[in-house]
Amino acid sequence: MSHIPVAERRTKIISREQVFQWLAQLAGEMDLVAPIDVDGYIFYRKIDDADEVVLDYTKPVLSIKDVFFPPTDKLFLIEQPAGELKILPPAHSTKQVLFGVRPCDARGLQVLDAVFINTEPSDPYYTQRRDNSILIGMACHEMGATCFCTEMGSSPDDARDMDLMLTEVDGGYTLESITERGSQLLKRFSLALDDFSTKNTAESALPISRYPYPSQERWLDHFSDNYWEDMAERCLSCRACAYVCPTCRCFDVRDEIQTGDDGSQIYARIRCWDSCTGYAYRRIAGGHNPRPENAQRLRNRLYCKFFYFSQQYGPDACTGCGRCIDVCPVGVDITEVLQQIAGITVGEQNNPEEVGVL
Amino acid sequence: MYRPKIIAFLCTWCSYTGADTAGIARLKSPAHFRAVRVPCSGRVSPELIMRTFDQGADGVLVLGCHIGECHYDSGNHRTAKRIPVLKSLLEFAGLEPQRLRLDWVSASEGERFSRIATEFCNEILDLGPVRWRVNEDRYRAGKVDKQPISDYDQPVFNQAVLDKQTDDMRKSARELLRSNQVDCVIGYEEDQRGRTRPTFIYNPDDCSRLVWNKNCTHNLAGYLSKKLNPGLTKSSERTSLSIAVVVKPCDSRTINVQLAEKVYQREQLHIIGMTCSGVQEQPRSTGHLPSAQTPPLQGRCLDCSDRIPLVYDTLVGDSPDYIPDSKGISPRALKITQLNAMAPAERMDVWLREFDRCIRCYACRQACPLCECPTCLYERDDSLWVSAANGWDGVGLNEKRTFHLGRAYHLAGRCIGCDECERACPVGIPISYLNQMLAREMETLYHHQAGDSVAPTPFVTILSGEERFL
Repeated sequence: MSHIPVAERRTKIISREQVFQWLAQLAGEMDLVAPIDVDGYIFYRKIDDADEVVLDYTKPVLSIKDVFFPPTDKLFLIEQPAGELKILPPAHSTKQVLFGVRPCDARGLQVLDAVFINTEPSDPYYTQRRDNSILIGMACHEMGATCFCTEMGSSPDDARDMDLMLTEVDGGYTLESITERGSQLLKRFSLALDDFSTKNTAESALPISRYPYPSQERWLDHFSDNYWEDMAERCLSCRACAYVCPTCRCFDVRDEIQTGDDGSQIYARIRCWDSCTGYAYRRIAGGHNPRPENAQRLRNRLYCKFFYFSQQYGPDACTGCGRCIDVCPVGVDITEVLQQIAGITVGEQNNPEEVGVL
Repeated sequence: MYRPKIIAFLCTWCSYTGADTAGIARLKSPAHFRAVRVPCSGRVSPELIMRTFDQGADGVLVLGCHIGECHYDSGNHRTAKRIPVLKSLLEFAGLEPQRLRLDWVSASEGERFSRIATEFCNEILDLGPVRWRVNEDRYRAGKVDKQPISDYDQPVFNQAVLDKQTDDMRKSARELLRSNQVDCVIGYEEDQRGRTRPTFIYNPDDCSRLVWNKNCTHNLAGYLSKKLNPGLTKSSERTSLSIAVVVKPCDSRTINVQLAEKVYQREQLHIIGMTCSGVQEQPRSTGHLPSAQTPPLQGRCLDCSDRIPLVYDTLVGDSPDYIPDSKGISPRALKITQLNAMAPAERMDVWLREFDRCIRCYACRQACPLCECPTCLYERDDSLWVSAANGWDGVGLNEKRTFHLGRAYHLAGRCIGCDECERACPVGIPISYLNQMLAREMETLYHHQAGDSVAPTPFVTILSGEERFL
């Protein structure tokens, strides 16, 4: 993906009405995935009608990951129509535009890219979907109560992972081309857009980091702490945190038989979401489970986010979206863990300089 | 011509022979039957029946021995109790109830077999092809208008009463730990965000962390099985011999069910019962911009009239001076009524639309204080009751429905209505409607309210004279 140098990025201004016109044109040409309201909850979903798109939202309940790494992926099918085995490749993914992607979710895709694209062998299913997708970002108006993207090196208006970026201003949105691909997409549609010139719309005040960011050494030192048992005592091993997470990417692979309406049988190799916080995740043949306790499993998930993944791939496997904090039914809080590892008693005033805020 | 697929589960001791008798007597029986011979009608689990419909059956007929003639004494008592409840559940999910029938045929009753089979077959022919199995990937049809919550009473909490209760609760907890009567107190604390959450206190000096407020929604009895019966949950983590637990009246019902199911011994437990004036709705992350509205009282609290726990050792608080005025009907009760008034197909659309959002995280099950199986039936590697498929060609939606209906059924007569499942669901599936509908059914059919006393679900006991069946 070729990025346009910052100085040469063309910024246009687009009104709300024009956004909907543009989305209608987009939806007519390719698959359009955008935030919509489904019975009171906002989801990124493939849409048919641009009018359904919601422009005022915090963050969808699930991250954008399921567009690229769906809860169930059919890897291939085996049919045996007349005694002869036939292996059928999965359906090709089609060109799609993802509209209204939040910066934390786009960051999450970088984490998935590190695993599924940049590490050999790359995953053809994920790669193809990624290649076929154009990301139109939407900057957040403000940080939510549980958000901590600024701690994770991003920000509510982080445009670097997008192709095009929208930011709300008086009278509509600024529309900025970040990559050549984004610029090309914009050119294909006849939108009479004015250049955005007023540079004086309040400099985006960089949010202050609210939580500390512990170093890798600190994570190493705290592995055997009693703290894990204390904090995980309330954990229900419910996996909700992992399923809403933009970067959790563990899966299980199964071969299953599906019976069609006509009684025909299709064998499918499927890949489905799994999570290290569930009991069965680590169970091995013979029934032994090396991580039988809640505390071990929850600790594993957190070390994966901030230590194992960073060691293996570079970035942290957390984008600070705060969804895990939102959905946890018993109040397990990832930012509390960061404070603990950084050596700050939970509840005390943080001093970012002392603990090295990113 | 439409040829219905009818699966008949026949008890080998009676109705299977009854079918033979009909054949030998050259009585006419319909040809659309596929008979499955089972050792007892009690063997026919709800999963078998649901799966039969999933695979395209137009009707399921279960035939067993007459009551009093079971080869295993009481196998058919269980069938008699279960099938009517399953039938209501399937009806609530949108299946025509006539498609499932239970009846009794003895070995000598060839004529009765032939009559029931013909009758059932004609009924299914009249109904036409079944609509149950789903082939769509995304389900967008059907929507129930959601009653705006603001139409209902805003809760009034008496802060002075809550503060006094907090103090008294801390005192009791401290005393219990100091005198070594218990190893651990399970109560509520506030985290640094000001959210209330469960906490575990081992040291009397930490009792000042305990709080009691309008957000104490968690059912802490759910932790008891893990702490007091580690064998059940395969955990050796911080198990205790004796525990004190803070409970609301609804939570205390959980303890009665757990005691009836012998999860632990009553002596292991010191119950700190709180008098309760209800808890408020907890904020949910929906993706919509946050509203400044005061959260209303929870729907389940509007439906609840218990102010004092049903079982306790220490009671904290006087009778609460605020008793919610439910205006006769809670939003949830209203929605269940609304669903019941729909045509089956319409109701099915509503449920499929709800289940479509399920991501199969199984947080509902994990959060349930009474989902206690060491390995969930639906997650066993050796018996794939539900496929791992989350969604493609509609496969996932069938699986999601099987899971949710099956789980609701397993909780019939056990669910005390704490709604932890619904609260834990990250995508807002109204699981409590299923549970509540079944709770009503259990009350109507068997006069049973879960947790009223230390009594097991009626499914595991024999029929009493006054229970109506069939």
